[in-house]
Amino acid sequence: MSDLSLTDFFLTGLITYGPPMLGLALLLAGLGLPLPATLFLLATGAFIRQGVMDWTTTLGLGLLGVIVGDSASYMLGRFAGDWAQRRFNRSTAWRSAQDTFARRGGTAIYLTRFLLTPLAIPVNLIAGGSRYAFWRFLGYDAAGEVTWIALYVGLGYVVGSQWELISQFVGDFSGLLVGLAALGAGVYLWVQRKSCSPPTPSAAGPG
Amino acid sequence: MTIGLIALGLILVGFFGVRAVVSFVRLQQTGLQSGVTDPEAIRGWMTIPYIATAYGVPEEYFFEHIGIPAEGNRDKSLGQLNREYAFGQPAAILNAVKEAIRKYQREQPPVTEAPP
Repeated sequence: MSDLSLTDFFLTGLITYGPPMLGLALLLAGLGLPLPATLFLLATGAFIRQGVMDWTTTLGLGLLGVIVGDSASYMLGRFAGDWAQRRFNRSTAWRSAQDTFARRGGTAIYLTRFLLTPLAIPVNLIAGGSRYAFWRFLGYDAAGEVTWIALYVGLGYVVGSQWELISQFVGDFSGLLVGLAALGAGVYLWVQRKSCSPPTPSAAGPG
Repeated sequence: MTIGLIALGLILVGFFGVRAVVSFVRLQQTGLQSGVTDPEAIRGWMTIPYIATAYGVPEEYFFEHIGIPAEGNRDKSLGQLNREYAFGQPAAILNAVKEAIRKYQREQPPVTEAPP
């Protein structure tokens, strides 16, 4: 029997104290503590199916916890952003990054809640740091977290007692998606740079 | 930065791609049976009341079989119980719980409906 890990501590808490423990775990995960939040949701689905947890309170407190955690990390980014704003205000790259996030940040916030989950905390910090409107952040965040909770609690409910088997695949698949996103962004930037650079004269020349 | 992003993407795709395929193949081989109550699925983080609910075995049966009092031990995980009651014997409580489930399942075979 292995020693009690943080994951085991929260799993024991989930079956003993129920929804408040899920809310606390998701709040801490939203703050950036490295907890396997998706695994907790899969387990919660299985526990609801087994009758150990009640689904309405569980989903309500879980959603509340993760939104509070995300908002706190947004605020953290906002305070850090004040420093960055003073430091990099005259930088065009900084302003360009802020403008880009203001235009397309909603999609990034929504997708990182349930699909590209390893990027959720950096996106929260960037949203706060770039002064993305809090109420817009909250709207996209809530929509994404509802999708995340419904998806993984539902999956845990369907697979029941075999939630541990599926959690490994879910974690690996999420990592693969982040890799594809990084690769896609890199290729996009490379193509942009190539198309913007002035054409170089041919070394051979005409004739 | 662009080259770094592409390199990072390739490393992540390679690493997690292989792991995802291996996990998926394992899932396919195992198959998903949502109602499985195999004692081998018992883990150290589980508590006696949870196992009692999940496996349909009365709580008192476990405490009697293991030989520890129910009072004050309901909220403790099997890992904690092992540390408190089975010094120097790794997985002693876990194995005792698995044995209790197997014994209960032998004593109480699944009830089949009688024909009308």
